Amino acid sequence: MRPDEGDLDEEIRGHLAIDIKERIDRGEDPVSARRAALREFGYVPAVREEMRRVWYSRWYDQAEALARDMRFAVRSLIRAKAVTVTVVVTLALGIGANAAIFSVVRSVLLRPLVNRDADRLLYIRQTAKGTGTENLTFSVPEINDFKSRATTVAAFGDFSTVDFTVIGFGHEPRLVKAGVVNGSFFEVMGLRPVLGRLLNAADDGPAAAGAAVLTHRFWTTALQSNPAVIGQTIRLGPRAATVVGVLEPSVPYPEETQIIANMVTSPHHSQAMMNTSRTHRMTELFGRLAPGATLEAARAELSTVHASVMRQYPQAYSARARVQLEVRTLRDQLASPAQTILLVLLAATAVVFVIACANVANLILARSVRREGELAVRAAIGASRGALRRTLLAESLVMCTGGAILGLLLAAPLVTVASRYAARFSIRALDATVDASVLWLGAGLAVIAAVLLAFVPRLPSSDRTAAVGLAGGSVRLTPGTNRRLRIFATIQVACSFVLLAGAGMLIATLTALQTANTGYDMRQVLAIDVPALATAVVDKNRSTFSPEATRRIRELPGVQGVAAGLVVPWRDLSFSNRLPFSVEGYQTADGEERPTAQLRVVSPGFFDVLGVPILSGRDFTSEDRSDTDPVAIVSQSVARRMFSSADAVNRRLWFGTAKPRRIIGIVADADDQNIVQAPTLTIYEPIRGGIMGQLANRLFVRAAGDPYTLVPPVTRIIRETSADQAVERPATLEDVRAEVLTPERLNTFVFSALGGIALLIAVVGVAGVLAFSVGARMREFGVRLAIGSTPHDLRIGVLRDGIRIAAFGIAAGAVGGYALVRVVERVFGAVQLPGALSVIGAAVVLIGAAAVASLMPATRASRVDVLQALRSE
Amino acid sequence: MATHSDDQRLELLQGTLDMLILRTLTWGPQHGHGIGQAIRAQSDDRLKVETGSLYPALHRLVKRRWLKAEWGVSEANQRAKYYQLTAAGRAQLLREQDRWSRLVDAIGRIMNPAPADTGK
Repeated sequence: MRPDEGDLDEEIRGHLAIDIKERIDRGEDPVSARRAALREFGYVPAVREEMRRVWYSRWYDQAEALARDMRFAVRSLIRAKAVTVTVVVTLALGIGANAAIFSVVRSVLLRPLVNRDADRLLYIRQTAKGTGTENLTFSVPEINDFKSRATTVAAFGDFSTVDFTVIGFGHEPRLVKAGVVNGSFFEVMGLRPVLGRLLNAADDGPAAAGAAVLTHRFWTTALQSNPAVIGQTIRLGPRAATVVGVLEPSVPYPEETQIIANMVTSPHHSQAMMNTSRTHRMTELFGRLAPGATLEAARAELSTVHASVMRQYPQAYSARARVQLEVRTLRDQLASPAQTILLVLLAATAVVFVIACANVANLILARSVRREGELAVRAAIGASRGALRRTLLAESLVMCTGGAILGLLLAAPLVTVASRYAARFSIRALDATVDASVLWLGAGLAVIAAVLLAFVPRLPSSDRTAAVGLAGGSVRLTPGTNRRLRIFATIQVACSFVLLAGAGMLIATLTALQTANTGYDMRQVLAIDVPALATAVVDKNRSTFSPEATRRIRELPGVQGVAAGLVVPWRDLSFSNRLPFSVEGYQTADGEERPTAQLRVVSPGFFDVLGVPILSGRDFTSEDRSDTDPVAIVSQSVARRMFSSADAVNRRLWFGTAKPRRIIGIVADADDQNIVQAPTLTIYEPIRGGIMGQLANRLFVRAAGDPYTLVPPVTRIIRETSADQAVERPATLEDVRAEVLTPERLNTFVFSALGGIALLIAVVGVAGVLAFSVGARMREFGVRLAIGSTPHDLRIGVLRDGIRIAAFGIAAGAVGGYALVRVVERVFGAVQLPGALSVIGAAVVLIGAAAVASLMPATRASRVDVLQALRSE
Repeated sequence: MATHSDDQRLELLQGTLDMLILRTLTWGPQHGHGIGQAIRAQSDDRLKVETGSLYPALHRLVKRRWLKAEWGVSEANQRAKYYQLTAAGRAQLLREQDRWSRLVDAIGRIMNPAPADTGK
């Protein structure tokens, strides 16, 4: 319905034509008829404007003007492709990185928990700093003391984890991690079911029926959200439980489990030791504040109770362990480990954004110098300063919008990466998603950048406009613009320096970790968990893999050896406790503590399979199982410390009051607990019956080729010999160690990537500044060549210029970075400063990069054609 | 053509132009020039509508969907936009006519008060 502009014109033309024809028909002559018609019509543009205004409001016109400016901007930006692409990509990197990190920070630090009244939900923990134990957990008697004495806490929730072999859901038997909780746990946590019910007081006590709640993640991933699982009965090891409900999605803490079951499902929890031993600690404790009670009051009261309990039972709290109680809200507990790393990351990405903006400012400034002629012409033919500024604003808006869109597209995959990364520190990061608030952040950053950038270039000043700009149309660099360009370039170098030095520090740490000697041959060894039916009543006659299975695996093509052991290095960290032992003929000196060693139960062939050299003596054989002549193998450290240089073979040692064992061999040290190998006192025993034999259920297979090709046949053989047997987590030792090093690797990767981006941007920045300064000084170079400078002099001059920018930047970065560390230390405590090597390395890299960036402009300066340069103006 | 001098010509009352346009178009579709001429002829040359008011008014009426416009060819063999009443336009004309006669009646009572005792 809305007429377009042509319609209006045509209607007016039609009106005039009809009028003129009528007048001619009445006898007027054509010329005066035309004149009269026009006179009677009135001022055509005014009438047309009024007709137009019926359909097009003033706002429409304003928007149209901006749109016209934007279209103009798009056209002129398309002509300047290189600059545009650089600006858009630079901004996209800055905005994308910030959006991603921000989403993770928000989900970890800012988003509320789903738990009802999360600020009244307490997490209570015992630490024993003296023995380096961050989380001592609680024993049942300790928890009962709190329950009977505390008044500021309305209810306590217990949580402990056990491994169950679950048979049910129509799946193969699988090992799941389960939480075992008391009836008030879910009430304390303030969580609701999405299906069925949760556990309550009726599920407490030895007479209750087994009941299990599925966690949301387990239900949706492993069970495909099948609602029919409610009411099913599953076997949890030796006992059975009914699935009563599915928990709502919530933050799993302290550990992610697949199911949460009541106490009666775990035989371990009904043993006398569990309920009476004050040092049998394996339970996590949560509490909900009583109405009216504050966190401080609860902390004070619980600490008082704890102190009096410690006085009452001194034997359970050794002075050396320095047992202490910590009470905080669950939310703080969840956020605290991630807080520092996330804030550091946020700061790093903010620095990248600053660098990106500085670089973009540089490019735009340089471009505006090139456009001074165009702007001057527009000013000369009457464009107001506002209109010129609007042109620049439209241009930077177009670029920043492009940058923001690309950046937010980039943010989605970045969030996935960043949340996996941050999940190492806080489980809440896994829920991070790109959503509206992130879009707002991106848009906000883009607008900030756009407005700043529109005001970076100088407009041609009204008085000098015509004279300067119109004359040559060539590039001129005023001292002011030049200074600004240099300042932005210096900022970039300074920021890059800080990031590079930090990344260098992390790389140095990681390299040290990765290249450290581990004592194992990691590449060819496949480790597989073959757990006994967890929490099953120990069956002494049952070994988890029969000799039959072992024999058949050994006969598989590509298998060089098979052995069993107690722990997969670096993965099974629950066997780090050391047992005191004695050695024939060794007296402890006064004040010397009794020697302690790790006990490892291994099968014959273990050392060969894992590549641990036997230094003297022999390996275990299948005949060593007898009780008549118990034998042991010791690590080199044991031999050195206990027997000095004398040969340890055939000497005897014993644990506590156990039968002395004859040492039959000495092997090299191999530390299966620490990622950086420490001298390890380890005593190996052959697998015999009993509990230790049951626990030695880690299978090691040495492969000739790719170890992972052996997983299916090995699994099949084990299943054929024992149908209910779970086979879990096959991985080479190399991958196990890599997995443990993941946080370090990720830290290094993220900071190196940020440092790399920063370096790249800074190189572009320095090169851009120099290219412009060279372009603007062509005439000067021509003159200098004419009066006797050599091209080499000019080249060196430009190179020196670039390196000077880098040097200033590095100095500024060093000072600024040091100041930043001091400020950060005041807030967060000690910060590790990068070593001299990292700092010098970063400086060298930047100087080198600046030199490379200067090369092209320098070469151009040295190739100036004297005559052409002098003639050009 | 100018049979009346300028001082004899009447200024259109605010808001009556729309009604006059609607009324004129009850005779059938007409282009802008024709509408102007018709008003002038119907008023015996007493009313002259300025094109500067007429065309914006026509567009306003189209926008309010009381008129619809179609391109046609005029007697001058020139493409011209023909305006035509819509059903909504007819309803609007009735409303405005009614309002107008009540207004004239009210103003008439004030300007020419009927003698109190002499009935009709």
